Amino acid sequence: MQIDVRLYGPLARYGGSDRNIHAKVIVDLDAGQTIRDLLYALDLPTEARGITFINGNLSAMPGLQPDLDHKLQDGDRVALFHEKSMWPFQYRHDVAATGEFREALQAREDGGLQSRYDQDAAKRP
Amino acid sequence: MWILRLNMTDHSYKLEDILERYKHLGGRGLTSTLIYDEVDPQCHPLGPANKLVFAPGMITGTSAPTSARVSVGAKSPLTGGIKESNAGSGWAPALARMGIRALVVEGQPEGEGFWMAHIAMVDGKPQVAFMPADEYTGRDLYEVYPEIYARFGNKVHVAAIGTAGEFGYPNSGVAFNDMKRNPTRYSGRGGLGSVMGSKRLKAIVIDPTDGPGVHIADEGLFKQGQAKMREALMEHAITKPKGGLNSYGTAILINILNEAGGLPTRSFSAGRFEGAADVAGEAIFETNKERTGKEVYNHACSPGCIIQCSNTLYDKDGKEAVSCIEYESDWAFGPNCGISDLDAIGQLVTLCNAYGLDTIEAGVTIGVAMDSGMIPFGDAEGAISLMHEIGKGTARGRLLGMGAANVAKAFGNPRSPTVKGQAMPAYDPRAVKGIGVTYATTTMGADHTAGYTIAPEILSVGGASDPLKAEKGKADLSRAFQKTTALIDSSGHCLFIAFAILDIPSGFEGMVEEVNGMFGTNMTGDELVELGAEILRRERAFNEKAGLTKAHDRLPEFMHIEPLPPHNVVVGLPDEVYDAVYGEL
Repeated sequence: MQIDVRLYGPLARYGGSDRNIHAKVIVDLDAGQTIRDLLYALDLPTEARGITFINGNLSAMPGLQPDLDHKLQDGDRVALFHEKSMWPFQYRHDVAATGEFREALQAREDGGLQSRYDQDAAKRP
Repeated sequence: MWILRLNMTDHSYKLEDILERYKHLGGRGLTSTLIYDEVDPQCHPLGPANKLVFAPGMITGTSAPTSARVSVGAKSPLTGGIKESNAGSGWAPALARMGIRALVVEGQPEGEGFWMAHIAMVDGKPQVAFMPADEYTGRDLYEVYPEIYARFGNKVHVAAIGTAGEFGYPNSGVAFNDMKRNPTRYSGRGGLGSVMGSKRLKAIVIDPTDGPGVHIADEGLFKQGQAKMREALMEHAITKPKGGLNSYGTAILINILNEAGGLPTRSFSAGRFEGAADVAGEAIFETNKERTGKEVYNHACSPGCIIQCSNTLYDKDGKEAVSCIEYESDWAFGPNCGISDLDAIGQLVTLCNAYGLDTIEAGVTIGVAMDSGMIPFGDAEGAISLMHEIGKGTARGRLLGMGAANVAKAFGNPRSPTVKGQAMPAYDPRAVKGIGVTYATTTMGADHTAGYTIAPEILSVGGASDPLKAEKGKADLSRAFQKTTALIDSSGHCLFIAFAILDIPSGFEGMVEEVNGMFGTNMTGDELVELGAEILRRERAFNEKAGLTKAHDRLPEFMHIEPLPPHNVVVGLPDEVYDAVYGEL
């Protein structure tokens, strides 16, 4: 199956661009493969990515990556953002998200009401 | 501590000791309270009864980080309701350090000429000189500011209106100087420039030399709070030096919203723009690197800011072309107009600064004009030409200066992306549903800065599975966000501290300690948020008397019936959600 991948900012180099703006690549995967497999195919370590979308559905944020085992479908569009990218809570509140991401938010004590999910870890190891 | 009143009817002024009940207010809390107390809600916004109030925040003028904000308030000629529009500029701490907690411009002179006010300390008190300003009218503010600085010296700070304010447009802002003394920091929204223009006041020049400074009641507590705030801002990935905002500016959001399918494109007809990546913050950063040969990080809009999110776009020769291209400005003239040429967008932003216009209102207006067939989408040259018409006051320019809602009416176009007459910012509420409730209900008209959030523990976060309860939860959240935003807008801190103090609780503690240290009070976080609620109640009460009711707390009809690609969603909330926001305040 073919996955339409968009890589932004400094991640563009994983898509073969030497400008840190944007790259679009088509990645061939086997049926049933996941985001983890896609990152492997791109040689992109998961800790190097931040906000992630699958078909416009939010699937990961800094410090919260419940999408690694998300099974991709032929023709899916996956957008990968760099660590400096941001999307504060009030500007993404109630947007379309993957099922795994919604469940991960609901499982948190704060209900997901943070701008990022990696600050806690930095503050309280 | 004073309130300084400029009476434009006879060019007199009065210095009053600040009343007890205003002593612990600042910024938006003070502008909105003074408007509520002193302005007839039914007055004409451009008549003699309206007042224009400038107030630095509670802690503005201190060494607290990222706190150089000024709130400007009046009855808005754009929405017909109360307005506060907030800007970051050295003008704000300068006013605070002169001991002026609020500057109230009132009355209206007879005759055609424009005036300026020069405020300086004489014998320990602010003294005002009124002087004719006709030599500065009808001109580009980028020419006017250097002349004012040449005349009064580089230590002054300047607030001024452009031709948009002189003409009385509902789209007109008040410009404040940036760190390079250019007219780029705006209280842009809601037509406040024309309120100033209606009083025939072109500029307010303030010289803070020999000002008494601001009095801090409990230095120890204040310093403790300030240190916590500083630490949170320095630590958070979004706000720290070389973090998200310092590297890419607010325009970092272009690609994100585009991928989310919520970037309003071609006047809110789609949620994705094919040229988004070419105009996003990442593209600005990389373009600058290619044009200057080095990595350019962003700068502060005002003194004492840690976040430093203001970008600059350099031209092909490596010279500064424009500052600052905010996310909203970038989007309004870019994706919203189908324009993917960064240099053209920079030029359009420059024209807003030059003529004294709000970039959001101007860009959305051009988008509506395109959607109505005046010029095609993507026509950058046509857009530039229309902006010059606005700035020069041609018949067509005057129509466009009336703002997006009025232009939609003029063309019989029901696709008017506005609430209470104010243009909607860069998050389509069909895709970003949470912000839609705030757009609809805020006292300000569609506004993306009305619903910031802090400290989850003081908000009631739902988690209920019952759908009715979940929808009620949307109202609860929006109300909570609006309260905390009213508080930050009053504090004098920039709203962007919210990113850090949301995720790092000691940052919020720091803000509470700063305010308590400033005033010698002992308020809890909850009590401060209640102060935010009280400010909203006053604003809401003003609006109700001005004729804005819950029937105006609605999103435009086309967003309920036209699905937004790529998610193909409409706004689907019942009216009860909107009504509950202020119904239960």
